[in-house]
Amino acid sequence: MGHEVTLVWRDGREATIEVANGESVIDATEREGLGVPFGCLYGACGTCTGRLIEGDLVHVERPRGLKPSHRNEGYVLLCVAEPRSDCRVEVGATVQADLVPNPWK
Amino acid sequence: MSTDEPSKTSEHHGHEHHEVEGPGYPTPAAMRTESEREKTAFVMGLRVGMDVDEPDFVGVVDVDPESETYAELIDTIEMPNKGDELHHFGWNSCSSSCHAEGLMRDHLIVPGQRSSRIHVIDASDPRDASIEKVIEPEEVFEHDLSAPHTVHCVPGGKIVISMLGNADGELPGGFLQLDQDDFSIDGHWEVDRGDMEMNYDYWYQPRHGVMLSTEWAAPETYYPGFDLDDVEAGKYGDSIHVWDWETKEHQQTLTFGEEGLIPLEIRMPHNPEETEGYVGAALSSNIIRFWEGDGGHWEWETVIDVEDREHPDWDMPVPGLVTDTLLSLDDQYLFFSNWLHGDVRMYDVSDTGNPRLVDQCWVGGNFGDRQEVAGHEVRGAPQMLQLSRDGRRLYWTTSLFSSWDNQFYPDIGEEGSLMMKADVYPEEGRMELDEDFVVDFGDAPGGPARAHEIRWPGGDCTSDVWQ
Ligand code: FES
Repeated sequence: MGHEVTLVWRDGREATIEVANGESVIDATEREGLGVPFGCLYGACGTCTGRLIEGDLVHVERPRGLKPSHRNEGYVLLCVAEPRSDCRVEVGATVQADLVPNPWK
Repeated sequence: MSTDEPSKTSEHHGHEHHEVEGPGYPTPAAMRTESEREKTAFVMGLRVGMDVDEPDFVGVVDVDPESETYAELIDTIEMPNKGDELHHFGWNSCSSSCHAEGLMRDHLIVPGQRSSRIHVIDASDPRDASIEKVIEPEEVFEHDLSAPHTVHCVPGGKIVISMLGNADGELPGGFLQLDQDDFSIDGHWEVDRGDMEMNYDYWYQPRHGVMLSTEWAAPETYYPGFDLDDVEAGKYGDSIHVWDWETKEHQQTLTFGEEGLIPLEIRMPHNPEETEGYVGAALSSNIIRFWEGDGGHWEWETVIDVEDREHPDWDMPVPGLVTDTLLSLDDQYLFFSNWLHGDVRMYDVSDTGNPRLVDQCWVGGNFGDRQEVAGHEVRGAPQMLQLSRDGRRLYWTTSLFSSWDNQFYPDIGEEGSLMMKADVYPEEGRMELDEDFVVDFGDAPGGPARAHEIRWPGGDCTSDVWQ
């Protein structure tokens, strides 16, 4: 038995999927064809960044693409994250863009 | 091979001094004067970091003005997986193997910068190309390497790819060598990495037995986006490395410090006699010239300094961010892009130590007045450059790297980027934006895409090296 993860996009779209035990959230979104962005698939690039709104989501490998401050703010790397309870997660390309703003602005 | 027609084994160079037929041209002058106008362009199209549920592709753009589909994306070779971030690519063989019989310039080596997956595309017919082989990331990680970047064919039947990280996306990276026949992995190219800790681009001059490589940062550092804290922490490069091309050993490090932060693209003259070249330092926004001095010791100096500019709405002066550089095949002109400012510059480098700015083209960016071309909003600014072999047409795309695009030009992530062109008049030393040529990757089949590196079938200014 896995857990239900509800994905929330900034445009208001939502989708709920079942993430199996031992399955990463990205693997589950790919299985369901939901098009959540990803890149390296091993926790380095941050392309798959989501933000945990509710629930218990754990990183099974070190999320190197996130700084400690990002992790404190609830950002998660969905390619190396597995749910330990039902969750709500904000997803989509713009979530990653929050991590590092334009430093000159 | 003079055109981008499907390759044949029996093509003529029209050169008597050249007994063995190979895939390239015996000299840069031959490529410049004997080749026909480019008709097809291979252009990377990316979907990484976008809400477009499609893989990256190698786009085929029609650049033949005689054609009905001129300036259109006429084909896309889709990757089998999503998330690759195709970045730079190269040929299985080039002019450095010109004297090698039996080889053809017919396969594109297309690496995924984020996935570490390497694709081999059969491009013998440029308008009907297909994926022939895929090297999966796990096979690359076995050699403790990741994040493939620059692909060059090298003499001796090999292909060498600079790799920016180890298997975990951390430092130091190295060079992966592939076999030209079956595209299998040989292992590392280098035998002694010396104090090279970061990698990015490289160029070699086989006649002088030298290779030079540059530095970006660890994949885990630059992948998520550009953070000035990482610069302060010394996580970005400021050096280039000199290698012995024969023994594959690291020989010397040239450290630039503040003057040369993030040295990216490196170009040496196409004339194989030369022992000098240029590197564009992106963050310092300088062009640094390097040369071999007495006793084989390499030296350097800054020859172009792009001034930071004050932006009325931004807190800090903004560097140009020199992201791509290019030398014309006759080595007379140096072009480079200032991706944050929004211009591409043309310098006469006949006197190599004293580059002379001859022209500049502004379009897009954070400072340019011109934000629209042929009714298309310019998303991004001049970035990856490619010059026609005859030096008369400069093309560019406007996307840099998905996460960096999303920081500086978020529109690209939503609506895709563009390919544009300027007509170059080398005799007069000037260029002019072609206001009719725009390929909008926002209209790519399957959804918007980021347009990145450009290559011509038949060879170009940034892939061919002469022996
Ligand atoms: S896909 Fe790269 S960190 Fe998740």
